Amino acid sequence: MNSLDRPWVLIAEREITTKLRDKTFIGSTLVMLLIVIAAVLIPAVLAGKGGPDKIAVIDDSGVKVVQQASTTAGGDGFEATRVADRAAAEKAVTEGDVKAALLPGTDGYVVLGKDRVDSSLEGALREAAAAVGTEANAAKAGLSPAELHAGTKVSLELLTPGPLPDVVSDFVNIGLALVFYMTALGFGMMIAQSVVQEKESRVVEILAAAVPIRSLLWGKVLGNTVLALSQIVLIAGVSLIGLLATDQADILEVVAPVAGWFVVFFVLGFVALAGLWAVAGSLATRQEDLGSTTLPGQMILMIPFFFSVFAGSSAKTVASFVPIASSMSMPGRMLTEDVPLWQPLVAIALLLATTVLIVRMGARLYERTLLQTGRRLGYREALALKTS
Amino acid sequence: MLRVEGLTRRFGDHLALDDVTFDVVPGRMTGFVGANGAGKTTTMRIILGVLAATAGQVRWQGEPLTQEVRRDFGYMPEERGLYPKMKIRDQLVFFGRLHGLSAERALERTEKLLERLGLAERANDVLETLSLGNQQRVQIAAALVHEPIALVLDEPFSGLDPLAVDAMVDLLREEVTPEVPVLFSSHQLDLVERLCDDLVVLSRGKVVAAGAVAELAAGPTTTYRLMVDGDAGWLRDMPGIQVRDVAGGTALFDVLDGAVEQRILHEALSRGPVREFGPERVALSDVFREATR
Repeated sequence: MNSLDRPWVLIAEREITTKLRDKTFIGSTLVMLLIVIAAVLIPAVLAGKGGPDKIAVIDDSGVKVVQQASTTAGGDGFEATRVADRAAAEKAVTEGDVKAALLPGTDGYVVLGKDRVDSSLEGALREAAAAVGTEANAAKAGLSPAELHAGTKVSLELLTPGPLPDVVSDFVNIGLALVFYMTALGFGMMIAQSVVQEKESRVVEILAAAVPIRSLLWGKVLGNTVLALSQIVLIAGVSLIGLLATDQADILEVVAPVAGWFVVFFVLGFVALAGLWAVAGSLATRQEDLGSTTLPGQMILMIPFFFSVFAGSSAKTVASFVPIASSMSMPGRMLTEDVPLWQPLVAIALLLATTVLIVRMGARLYERTLLQTGRRLGYREALALKTS
Repeated sequence: MLRVEGLTRRFGDHLALDDVTFDVVPGRMTGFVGANGAGKTTTMRIILGVLAATAGQVRWQGEPLTQEVRRDFGYMPEERGLYPKMKIRDQLVFFGRLHGLSAERALERTEKLLERLGLAERANDVLETLSLGNQQRVQIAAALVHEPIALVLDEPFSGLDPLAVDAMVDLLREEVTPEVPVLFSSHQLDLVERLCDDLVVLSRGKVVAAGAVAELAAGPTTTYRLMVDGDAGWLRDMPGIQVRDVAGGTALFDVLDGAVEQRILHEALSRGPVREFGPERVALSDVFREATR
């Protein structure tokens, strides 16, 4: 009998199970997943990240140089492939089995390529050969490698470090804003539609007789927030698997700390908008009315979206504090810039206050307009209405 | 007992309900009749809390009706509505749970009602694929699924053929226990006369007649009807009666005192064959017409 105390749980449950049986909803989720998989896989394929570059060698010193090059490049950039002799190495290079061959030369080594050799590959091998050779010579002179390299290390320091390169950070900003925009708009329209459907089919009168109208609103908002968040988690999960499978896991180190913030901004922004969309539905009496009643909701989403995509960085900083707009721009900023902790906290406080305000006003409008089935109402008109 | 007390409702300048008071007694079906726009639906929506009253209140067992108690009521709104794209079993279970049943109990009740309504094999069909008559059955089931403590049905039988009405009435009789007050509105007066124990007649927002159907429609009457061969004009000269109407051999008259009607019958027989003689029963439609005039 617990549904007596919490009718909104039941409403949310119906909202979720109905959507999960809706072929359009399942279809659009699958399409979105395919797009994400493509977005993760295609760059990996284009970058040719199909494993380490193979280098043909014919002796142990060659293997050592290739290993040294790989270590310098940080991991498994190159792999040595043993072949019998120079002829075999030439054959492997010609047939494209290896990127290049590293052969002993008259005074050191020869890098053997087909028509050209990648300059970064050549540089890496050149540097590694020099290092290996110098260390060997130093050992003969009685110096250990540590003694040899003492005082020669160069490290990089940036005065204003950016976690990500410019182009990448633009993409990340637009991407995060787009995820919120698409989800909030898509689910928003679904919420408005499901409210109008209940009005159109008059089932709302039975619902209103059985449970408080507020529970109807809470149930709808809760159900759709759970659905929206699950959809995003699903997409995030799939892209995570994709990143791991294509050895791009290093991106995660940058994204992971911001993920929690994104969820907070997402949920608050989404709930505020969900309340507004439900009101848009309750102002309408037929599906056709939605075009005009959802207009304010669309504007509230669209303006900050284009702002966060096209605005300059100082305008973007301002937008990241403005409620709703902050849901679209603050997570992106945190990912691509160094944002002091107080900024997201202030933005969240502002967003939270706005969400509470919108949801409260939404609940009041919803109660007043849900049972008005006569004609479409305007927002101002609805505010002036007394409770039926 | 469900009591409506001094209900008044204004829509702007229009007074839709004016001090409406009546009782709906447990175990009795109360018919709620009135012309279109008389205020029946408004009254019912106020009882269910879908609409607020401008003044007056609804009382349940002597106490003001609360949201908690109201959730156990069964309601069939005038404008029918369920989820068109939801399977009928899921739908009834949902409404059962919405009214406070456990999931198991709601399913149990749903299966029973669908079986009873002959819709068991359509349980997995989406509502909108059913015929209108069957949709109406599901709608009644939705009002009954949670074993309501009171039933408010707005035009429950409109649009049903006589057989379907009978089936629905049987279902109601079976489902509704003697503790449950039932209020149903209808404009099919013959149906109301057949089904209802009590009657409330509403006209332009006011109660114009209320009471047991038997008293209102078929109570002791002093009006008699006589049909003879030949002319009945002689009745006008008889003492103790008041002639209402004479047309050829047919007459309608009121008896002013006691057993005088037997004397009239003797007189009539002595004058020729009597084809018809008896008290004139008032049809409910006359009560209705009289009351709402």
